[in-house]
Amino acid sequence: MTFEIEISGRLREVRVERDGPSPHRFRVTVDGRPHEVDTVAVEDDTLSLVLPAMGHASYEIGFADGLLPNDVTVYTHGGTLHAVVNGRRSRGGARAAATGEQRVHAPMPGRVLRVLARPGDEVAARQPLVVVEAMKMENELSAPRAGRVKDVVVQEGVSVEAGRLLVIVE
Amino acid sequence: MQKVLIANRGEIAIRVMRACRDMGLETVAVYSDADRASPHVRYADEARHLGPSAAAESYLRIDRLIDAARDSGADAVHPGYGFLAENEEFAAACRDAGLVFIGPTPEAIALMGSKTAARRTALTAGAPVVPGTETPLPASMHDAQLAEIAAGIGYPLLVKAVAGGGGKGMRVVSNPADLPNAVRAARSEAGAAFGDSDIYFERRILHARHVEIQLLADQHGTVVPFVERECSIQRRHQKVIEESPSPVVTPALRGRMAAAAAAVARAAGYTSAGTIEFLLDEGGHFYFLEMNTRLQVEHPVTEMVTGLDLVQWQIRIARGERLTVDPARALTPWGHAIECRIYAEDPDQGFLPSPGRILCLHVPSGPGIRRDSGVEAGFEVPIHYDSMIAKLVAWGEDRGQAIARLRRALSEYQVRGIKTTIPFFQWILATDAFARGEFHTTYLDELLLARRGQAFVAAPEVAEDLAVLAVALRSYLRAHGSAGPALPSSAAAPARPDGWRRAGRLQGLRPA
Repeated sequence: MTFEIEISGRLREVRVERDGPSPHRFRVTVDGRPHEVDTVAVEDDTLSLVLPAMGHASYEIGFADGLLPNDVTVYTHGGTLHAVVNGRRSRGGARAAATGEQRVHAPMPGRVLRVLARPGDEVAARQPLVVVEAMKMENELSAPRAGRVKDVVVQEGVSVEAGRLLVIVE
Repeated sequence: MQKVLIANRGEIAIRVMRACRDMGLETVAVYSDADRASPHVRYADEARHLGPSAAAESYLRIDRLIDAARDSGADAVHPGYGFLAENEEFAAACRDAGLVFIGPTPEAIALMGSKTAARRTALTAGAPVVPGTETPLPASMHDAQLAEIAAGIGYPLLVKAVAGGGGKGMRVVSNPADLPNAVRAARSEAGAAFGDSDIYFERRILHARHVEIQLLADQHGTVVPFVERECSIQRRHQKVIEESPSPVVTPALRGRMAAAAAAVARAAGYTSAGTIEFLLDEGGHFYFLEMNTRLQVEHPVTEMVTGLDLVQWQIRIARGERLTVDPARALTPWGHAIECRIYAEDPDQGFLPSPGRILCLHVPSGPGIRRDSGVEAGFEVPIHYDSMIAKLVAWGEDRGQAIARLRRALSEYQVRGIKTTIPFFQWILATDAFARGEFHTTYLDELLLARRGQAFVAAPEVAEDLAVLAVALRSYLRAHGSAGPALPSSAAAPARPDGWRRAGRLQGLRPA
C-alpha cells in the first residue's frame, strides 16, 4: 500500500509491505529509501516500533485523530507532530495561506466578548479582531496578515463552538 | 464529624475526598450540569446536583451548597481552593447552618482578605511589609493627591486592588506620567472582577522572588510554620511551577521567615491551614505580601518534603484536635519537591485555552512521582472553569534528582486530543537558569517575550522520520483491520471498597 504523508510541510511517498512470515515485520519505503520495521499495535491507538537495522532502537508512538478526517496527531518522546495522510493539503493549501482570503476561526469553544472590527476596516497583521472568553480567560483572535475585513459573521455575546468562522479578512 | 461535603470540583475535590476516605469519613460531591460525568462525582460516596454549568449558578451558590449539605446529612464542609474558599459569607453561612467549615473563621478570612487590613495586621505583628499605603485610596481622590502619595513611596510602584488576587486589578507604573491611567485601569478591572474598585500603592521590588510559608494553626493557640515554598516561576502573576525548599533560602533565613509568618497568623487569630506570601529581594530581605486563607494549589510540595498530610490536619483542626506536629519536622525539608501545574492550554498559541475531549491519557508514575488529577480518558474538559487539569509533583533526594524525575515523568505523560502545557514544562525544566535556580517573579514573562513565536513543541528531525514510518504503518494496519483505534480505556477506576460495602448493606446483599 502507498500513502502520501505530510509532516511539517514536507510531503513524502511511503510504501508499506509485509516482510517475511512474521506478522510484525514490515518494509516501509520512504521516498525510495527502504526501512525494516518490527511493529505491533498496543492499547489506546499506540504502536511499538523496533528498528532492527538501527541498532534495534525501540520507540512508542501514540496517535490521536484530528478534527479533519485525514489529520492525525503523532506523539513521540521527542515531541508532538501533526500529519496529514493522503490529504494533498500542502499544494492548494500553502498558496491560499500566502495570499487570498484569511478566515479567522474560534480555536476553542467560548463566548464572544467583543467584536473589534467592522466590515470594510483595514486591519494590520495580528491586530485583535474578536475577543472570545473561555475558561475565565479573554483571548484576542487576529489574522496573521494585514488586509481588509470582508465580513464579520458573529455578534457580541453569542456562544461559539471550536472551528466556528468569526471573521473573513481579504 | 462523619460526613464531609466538598464544595468544589476537579483535582482538589478528589484530593480532599482521599483525605476523608483515609480517615474513614464519608464524602458528598457537588456538581454542575457540565460536571455530571466528572471523576470527582464518581469518587464520592454521594453526589448532589447544584445547577447549571456557569460557576455563578452552581459552585458559587452558597444557598444551594448549604441545602445540599443539609439534605445529605453532612456535618462539615471543605471548600477546596478557588470558588468560595476565601469567601467569609460562605464560612459564616456554614457556621449558621450548624456545619463545621474546614478552614479559618469568617472573621479571619475577612481580615486577611482585605489587602490593606492584612498589611496592617502584618505591621502589628512586627513583620516587614513592602513600603506602600496603609489604607485604601478612595475613588474621590484627585490625580494630584495620588501623585503626591506615589512620589512618597517611590517608583517603580504597583497599583493593586484591595480585594485583589491573581494579578487582577494590578498595574506596574514606572513613569509618574502613567499613574492616572494605571489607577483608572486598575479600578475598572478590580470593580469588574471583585465588585470593589478600591486600590492601594505598593513599591515594586525589582527581581524579587516569591517565597511563601505554609502554616497550620489549631483552635488552642498553637501555630506551626513549615519549610518555605518557592513560587517565582509565574506567567502573568499566576504560579506555574512551585518547589520546596527554595534554592536560595538558608536555614537561618527560613527561621526568620517562619517566625514572622507565625506572628502574622497569631495576630490574625488564624486557625486551619494558611499561607503567608513574602517577596524576597536580591539582598535577602523579605517583605509580607499577603495571606492566603485556604489550602493552596501547591500544598503537595510541602507534603512531599515533610511527609505530613495538610488536608487531614485541616480536618483534625476543624474537629478541635490539638496540633501535635513536631515543629522541627515541619521546618526541616526532607529532600526536594517540584510541582508543575498542567493546564489545558496551547503553549504554542500564547497559552490559549484548549478545552475538548481527552482521547487517551498515558500517566506518569514510578519513583518520587505524585499526580493529582481531576480528568481521565474520554473526559470533556469544560470551558466554564479554570483550565488546570492536573498537578504533577516530583520528589528527589536533592533538587537535581527532583528535576530529573520531573522531566522523566513529563516525557511519560501523554494527554491526547487536547493541547496542554506539558511541552512548555519540558522546555523550561531543561534550561540552565532553572537548573541553577536563578529566577524571579517576572523572569518567565521576560523569557517568553524574548522567545516570541518560537514553538515549544518543536520535534527533532529524527522524531519526524519516525512519525512518517509510524503513521504509514498505522494507516496500513487500519486498512487491514488489525489496528483500529482502541476505545479510550478510562484511567483505572479508583478503588472504593467503602462505597460498595455501603451499597451492599443498603440492599441487604451482605452482612455489614
